[in-house]
Amino acid sequence: MSFLDQTARGFLMTELVKGFTLTLKYMFKPKVTINYPFEKGPISPRFRGEHALRRYPNGEERCIACKLCEAICPAQAITIEAEPRDDGSRRTTRYDIDMTKCIYCGLCQEACPVDAIVEGPNFEFATETREELYYNKQKLLDNGDRWEAQIAANLEADAPYR
Amino acid sequence: MPAYLPQKMLEWFPWLASEFFVLYVWPVVGISLAILALVVPLIVAMAYLTYAERKVLAAMQLRQGPMMVGPFGLLQPLADGLKLLGKETIIPRGANRFIFVMAPMLTFMLALVAWAVIPVNAGWVLADINVGILYLFAISSLGVYGILMAGWASNSRYAFLGGLRSAAQMVSYEVSIGLVLVTVLLTTGSLNLTDIVMAERPFWVDLLLFPMFIVFVISALAETNRAPFDLPEGESELVGGYNVEYSSMTFALFFLGEYMNMILMSGMTAVLFMGGWLPPFGIEALAAVPGVIWFALKVCFVLFIFLWARATLPRYRYDQLMRLGWKVFLPLTLLWVVVVAGALLYNNALPGME
Amino acid sequence: MPKLTIDGMEVTVEPGTSIIQAAEQLGIEVPRFCYHDKLSVPANCRMCLVEVEKSPKPVASCAMPCADGMNVFTKSPLAQKARKGVMEMLLVNHPLDCPICDQGGECDLQDQAVAYGFDRSRYREEKRAVKDKELGPLVKTVMTRCIHCTRCVRFGDEIAGVDDMGVLNRGEHLEIGTYVEQMVNSELSGNLIDVCPVGALTSKPYAFTARPWELRKVDSLDVFDAVGSNIRIDTRGGAVMRIQPRLNEEVNEEWISDKVRFSWDGLKQGRLDTPYVRKDGKLQPASWGEAFGAIADRIAGLSGQKMAAVVGDTADCEAIVALKDLMTALGCNAFECRTDGAQFDTAVPAGWLFNTTIAGLEDADAILLVGTNPRTEAALVNARIRKTWLAKRIKIGLIGAQCDLNYPVKYLGAGAETLEELAAGKGAFAEVLKGAKNPVIILGMGALRRADGMAIHALARKVAETYNMVREDWNGFNLLHTAASRVGALMLGFTGGNLEKMPSAQMLYLLDCDDVPADKIGKDTFVIYQGHHGDKAAARADVILPGAAYTEKNATYVNTEGRVQTARQAVFPPGEAREDWKIIRALSELLAKTLPYDDIVQVRARLAAVNPAFAEVNQPLKAEWKPFGAEGKADKAPFAVAVENFYQTDSVTRASKTMAACTASFVANATPAKTGT
Repeated sequence: MSFLDQTARGFLMTELVKGFTLTLKYMFKPKVTINYPFEKGPISPRFRGEHALRRYPNGEERCIACKLCEAICPAQAITIEAEPRDDGSRRTTRYDIDMTKCIYCGLCQEACPVDAIVEGPNFEFATETREELYYNKQKLLDNGDRWEAQIAANLEADAPYR
Repeated sequence: MPAYLPQKMLEWFPWLASEFFVLYVWPVVGISLAILALVVPLIVAMAYLTYAERKVLAAMQLRQGPMMVGPFGLLQPLADGLKLLGKETIIPRGANRFIFVMAPMLTFMLALVAWAVIPVNAGWVLADINVGILYLFAISSLGVYGILMAGWASNSRYAFLGGLRSAAQMVSYEVSIGLVLVTVLLTTGSLNLTDIVMAERPFWVDLLLFPMFIVFVISALAETNRAPFDLPEGESELVGGYNVEYSSMTFALFFLGEYMNMILMSGMTAVLFMGGWLPPFGIEALAAVPGVIWFALKVCFVLFIFLWARATLPRYRYDQLMRLGWKVFLPLTLLWVVVVAGALLYNNALPGME
Repeated sequence: MPKLTIDGMEVTVEPGTSIIQAAEQLGIEVPRFCYHDKLSVPANCRMCLVEVEKSPKPVASCAMPCADGMNVFTKSPLAQKARKGVMEMLLVNHPLDCPICDQGGECDLQDQAVAYGFDRSRYREEKRAVKDKELGPLVKTVMTRCIHCTRCVRFGDEIAGVDDMGVLNRGEHLEIGTYVEQMVNSELSGNLIDVCPVGALTSKPYAFTARPWELRKVDSLDVFDAVGSNIRIDTRGGAVMRIQPRLNEEVNEEWISDKVRFSWDGLKQGRLDTPYVRKDGKLQPASWGEAFGAIADRIAGLSGQKMAAVVGDTADCEAIVALKDLMTALGCNAFECRTDGAQFDTAVPAGWLFNTTIAGLEDADAILLVGTNPRTEAALVNARIRKTWLAKRIKIGLIGAQCDLNYPVKYLGAGAETLEELAAGKGAFAEVLKGAKNPVIILGMGALRRADGMAIHALARKVAETYNMVREDWNGFNLLHTAASRVGALMLGFTGGNLEKMPSAQMLYLLDCDDVPADKIGKDTFVIYQGHHGDKAAARADVILPGAAYTEKNATYVNTEGRVQTARQAVFPPGEAREDWKIIRALSELLAKTLPYDDIVQVRARLAAVNPAFAEVNQPLKAEWKPFGAEGKADKAPFAVAVENFYQTDSVTRASKTMAACTASFVANATPAKTGT
């Protein structure tokens, strides 16, 4: 019987019909992709995008050059040099992130005791040259200034789960 | 002297009515215009077929498809064409330059030439010859040469293997296409495509021909190297198949040739099985719509099946492809020739038998 | 010999051993803050609490001597709970500023809080804050972090001999500080940083620059005096970040002098990174080929008799032997290593070694210092003398310039006269030396840097022999050198060329030598200077060959005891500079006197061939006692001071900003630092 069954199926092409029906059905389903540069998908407050160095509301940079991010970075993308600033406080003289090495694991922001280095919501920072992806301290601080509102909101939104 | 030339013009340029012009120039001009009238819409259709393919595939895969160039991405085919046009034509070292360049032209030309005998409406045909089917069959058999030439001239193993596969595949499926055509001819009694469209078939004959329609569409997929029979391209093992060494316009011509062939095969399907420019299912009320529209819609339907199949089916393995061609379609169509012939004979329905 | 059980393991220890030491013998770790091997035991941190059977309370293991039949548990719930409690109390007032603390990553408190502490704080009240103290240009204080272990106070009292620091007030107001605002003036003050278990005392020059986990650690040696202290150079990315002591009980225990600890910034200043050749009266940068070419041109046809070679205070033995071999091959026989002009008999090794050995000083019961201030000349020998004095209150006499030593000294006289008196068995100190079982004489460079040095040398020998200082089992005669290269050069026979005759030489090769007085160099002499800093001598040179500083080469040094030690390369020399022996080896090839060694192993084999003592690493040299010196009339002039400014003795320390700051702070009559070109 199974032979007959199989032959009948083969000649009636039931499987073929099923398959074609399925794709036809899919054709009228809503799309899962979006019209990207014009509309963007929602991102989580925990989204790990482009790095930024934050400041305190009074304009003082948060980073205290503890080098924990440098130590924990699994890709060794962070390079920090520090020395006492004129007022005696501990500050970085150099804070570089090689964004071509970075794997966006977020361990740096986990390690940071003062929420200075964060991975912000920005993911559109492609560049034309590699050199532009070697971020220095100024670039990171500028990022922080640009995204501070969103970063602060994200941190607040995520705070209850930490 | 053609009547459509204004009298005034004749008065000014009497030589326009000379024997030479009337016998040679005006027919050539007329035929050229007719060819243009056919080819230009065809090329536009072909361009938008690529767009349609991407959109349909995208839709079936829940994607957006092209949408950046122009509204809804409608200018995408133009952009692609421009891009290909702007690229450098690279001819590999060790390639046979002449054949290498000739191959895509041949492919494209053959795909266009076949349209000479396809009637898009009553009387709208470039050459209403009595051996239309044979002509089509001959031309589509020639198509394999373009691919073979490309595969050989590229001096590349991948291209060569792709060309070989393609040739073997096309030859194999031409056999079943030929037999399908024979069954259709049995029911119409004519090799003239206009006659085939106009031939009146009882409903049960149509029903009898339905399996042949299926076989024909599947064979058409194989003949045009479309999914699921796109083995000559075989990205996974052959990189790109016979066209792997091609770039710029030479590549574009292959690409266009493939799509032109798809449209041609759809046109053939429409003519042979779907009543060409006639309204579907013989519904007279729909005759108000111009026949060429119906023809276009039917072609579009078959083309949609082509794309649909591509979105649905995975690629065949090469031995499966051969098995299907030789061990399923060949016996089946052979049997069907006998069945159809027998049925027609039994019912006294053979054309020209009354 | 008490026998006790710790954590189920039996151990037999010397009477008087504390439980913590017994545990250490078994390899059991007992956490501690205030306890330190080299310091007295105050038992005030309570971190080392252990449970002892039949004891109602946990016991501070650092202060409890072992008793027979004791049963100690270091990991029992009681001990753990006790430590957890102690830890919590210690952390009550300790700020949570590890991220900005330089001790972070190598902090005892941090490590032990993780290992033994509670994982959260229950303390909700205000933490206290303490005003920071100013301890000078070397030690930075953040007194809020202090946990009052008093290690620094005890270090100051016991090792450094400066009782500036102490504990003030009680309870909540307890503070460590200097009683009056003053800097800690000690040549060992850097060790306070190592001793401090938390980040209260940290290094000022190193502040915030690196983390311990970033540093590559390389074993090396102190070349700023003749003690040969064992150090560890911490580098990051090709730069020396800091220098720390390495334990060697026989030499420096676990201390080093401030000079080596803080002078590393001098390694980055004023370096020679390319060869120079003098053209038209001006030094111009050149390639190695040009520099060597200039030398070859100049000495072509020059008789070896008209050449001289001098090695300076920080040259390594590999370079010295290479230079000697090359110059000998050229026919030269004028070699000198005593650039300070010291005169003494170089023929008998026993005459120029620290025969007692540094560790051997602990057995001494009377010490006579002649023309030396060990505090500035060899800080760690001085620490050893102080340790001996502290343990046994021995009598110490001094002949020479008055100086500020951190133990009581009987001042005997200023010059050779007093020594002569003593040699004759007369004088105030004679009875002390006579009564001593193991008397020691330490002869310093201050007594020998004079024309009658040979006579003084003989006089000192006479003193040693008079008071039975040299016996089968004891050798109390010591020469205290001030230069790291000196004993090595003497062992390689790099002597005999009289500095006074140098001006007549046509060609003078200076290896790492900056301290040859300008008048000892002739006007027309062709001077080749090979060294690492553009200091005094470089300005006079006709050709400069850039060499490597001590951190930049694999090198052998011999300390004043004749102890052969090796230092390893920590970083690469800057620019075109190369290891010194390689430069000489390359030059020898150009002068067609190719030296027969191509790598460091072969050079060291050559060292051992010249003097078999080089084959024995880390052993003080044993020398046979033979008469040395020359009888003669000793001048009446008082002995000189060998080291005027402890902080700036050579090109590296003169280039160092930190050392300049120390000079300004601690050396009262310091002239402004000269840092050369």
